[in-house]
Amino acid sequence: MFLMYRPTADNLVPIRLDIEIDGQRFRDAFTWNPSDPDSEVVVFAKRTVKDLKLPPAFVTQIAQSIQTQLTDFRSYEGQDMYTGEKVVPIKLDLRVNHTLIKDQFLWDLNNFESDPEEFAKSFCKDMGIEDLEVGPAIAIAIREQLYEIAVQNVTSARESRINKKGRRGFDHIQASKTGGNAVDLFKLFGNKSSVVRKRKEWDVYEPIVDLLSNEEVDALEAKEERNNR
Amino acid sequence: MATETTPPSKPSPELPSANPATPTVDVPPPSAAATPTPSTSATTPATVTPRLPEPDADVVHIPSYSRWFSWNGIHECEARFVPEFFDGRSSSKNPRVYKYYRNAIIRRFRENPNRKITFTEVRKTIVGDVGSIRRVFDFLEAWGLINYAGSAKPQLKWEDKETKSAAAAAPQGSDVAAGGGGADVSVPKKRVCSGCKTPCTIACFASDKHDMTLCARCYVRGNYRVGLSSADFKRVEISEEAKTDWTDKETLQLLEAIMHYGDDWKKVAEHVSGKSVKECVARFIKLPFGEQFDGPPESAELDTELGLQNQAIPTKRMRLSPLADASNPIMAQAAFLSTLVGVDVAEVAARAAVTALSDLGEGKQQESNNASNGDKLNMMEEALVEAKSQLEKEEEELEKTISGIATQSKEIEDKILQFEEFDLEMERKRQLFQQLQDRLFVDQLTILFNKTAAQKSGENTGEVIKIE
Repeated sequence: MFLMYRPTADNLVPIRLDIEIDGQRFRDAFTWNPSDPDSEVVVFAKRTVKDLKLPPAFVTQIAQSIQTQLTDFRSYEGQDMYTGEKVVPIKLDLRVNHTLIKDQFLWDLNNFESDPEEFAKSFCKDMGIEDLEVGPAIAIAIREQLYEIAVQNVTSARESRINKKGRRGFDHIQASKTGGNAVDLFKLFGNKSSVVRKRKEWDVYEPIVDLLSNEEVDALEAKEERNNR
Repeated sequence: MATETTPPSKPSPELPSANPATPTVDVPPPSAAATPTPSTSATTPATVTPRLPEPDADVVHIPSYSRWFSWNGIHECEARFVPEFFDGRSSSKNPRVYKYYRNAIIRRFRENPNRKITFTEVRKTIVGDVGSIRRVFDFLEAWGLINYAGSAKPQLKWEDKETKSAAAAAPQGSDVAAGGGGADVSVPKKRVCSGCKTPCTIACFASDKHDMTLCARCYVRGNYRVGLSSADFKRVEISEEAKTDWTDKETLQLLEAIMHYGDDWKKVAEHVSGKSVKECVARFIKLPFGEQFDGPPESAELDTELGLQNQAIPTKRMRLSPLADASNPIMAQAAFLSTLVGVDVAEVAARAAVTALSDLGEGKQQESNNASNGDKLNMMEEALVEAKSQLEKEEEELEKTISGIATQSKEIEDKILQFEEFDLEMERKRQLFQQLQDRLFVDQLTILFNKTAAQKSGENTGEVIKIE
């Protein structure tokens, strides 16, 4: 029942940067391949600073931030985590430039063929999204959630192992701890004859893509700024 | 190394045979210096000399060593230089993903080919991990498929020539091999290696064609930019370095000498203090107009001679300045050519050019006739200039329409592909539904039979089966 931490076949790391130096703020998000050598981090930081014409002080900060996030990731890599039947709900709620996206769907953690990048690409294609920056943002959002879930799994697996040494009823604890946000497929679909969702749930699971006007974008940005402070 | 003489004609736009869908692609001509024999699979690039750029937003230039590129295929040199996508070690890195990255980057660049595109703005729009995207980007940039000659400008001032031509000719920013653009090479007294960025001592290896300098260590280790081979580099002793740099004064003397003595290189070398015959010739060839000036001007060639009046010139630079500001680089070039050539020759060439033009039925006939009758060379100039510009305009329009058509057809191809996929999906779904329908029908039949059977055998039970 214990598997290595490997939510997807290629295991890309979602990296978020939010650095402020001398009043200049740099925010970014992208995916990083952890099998790239660490020397690439500095190369990437320098390239980004050069392309965006940022002051050179950003190079070290960016490199450090990426490195920290990578190290965190690597500390979970190779850890055992519980994955039984593991279908988790993923929620998308993000805004990229003028496009607002809300969506909810189920993701099978056991199937390593599931690829957030492919999902993002076909999502943009199917929904006819023209802004090219949306795709990467979706992939990153999915990966971040998968990462969160995996982290929870690893910690709960650790705890249950500790508990195992102390008590019996191991299975009972496992089921309750790790079944947290996973969807128990059997419960959901066991006694029904159809896998098709009930009509009333269709709205919840339907993707919503909104194009915002400039004023709406400004209003939302102002709200986000206030929330961040 | 034999020197080839290339006919001084304007390079005609070629369509590479592999991909009819790309916009018109221009291939620069090989320089007058010999090219290393191009081996198979595009390992050795043809030399790229800084040539005057054509001011046309819809024509995309790529160097001749990248003519293997096609939208739908993957060439073996791509598999060699970006192997991570082709070795099957990672499930998310496969040729399909590589094609997606590559085509997305190139498409993005070609939306605005006059502007250099940065890696950061491209990776924000591509779904994938930034490390792989960056490697594909660097590969494409090194091979000139993007950001190629994006900001080359016509050269007129001798002192700026070297730096700018070095920057324009050498593709910049390649991380694949050591050291990208030859921006370091700018009339240096001190040679800095473009590979390891250390100052060179004792001896170094220079490639004039690509304006690169490598220290001995980098040369031996093979730290070249993509596409170079060891044959491109010449050994240069540092101790003699200082002597071989050409100052402006020497270049000026060289040009004056050429003007006076023409092809007599011995006299030219005498006139130029401190340079041997070979050096003079080599230097002259390297000048940006060198390759166009090849032997006596041919009267039938419209492109080389516009027959501008030649005046007795004390200093070429002074005379160049009135026309040097001309937006038309051809004009500037013609100005230079006219200064090199005698008055009589220019006149003869001008007349021949005018007759050729009038044969084609372009230009203002009356003005040319008047000019050829009288001594008014100025009017002739104007007529020729106008005729020339009209010709150019037509060519530009033609190129624009062709490339417009090419992009449109590519778009239509994409759409057709999408529709085909969609059709396929629809067909599958239809079949699926058909199957379901059939099954449902079978179920209904069975139930019906069972019902009738049950009724016959078990009438007393009185069960009613509802068929949903």
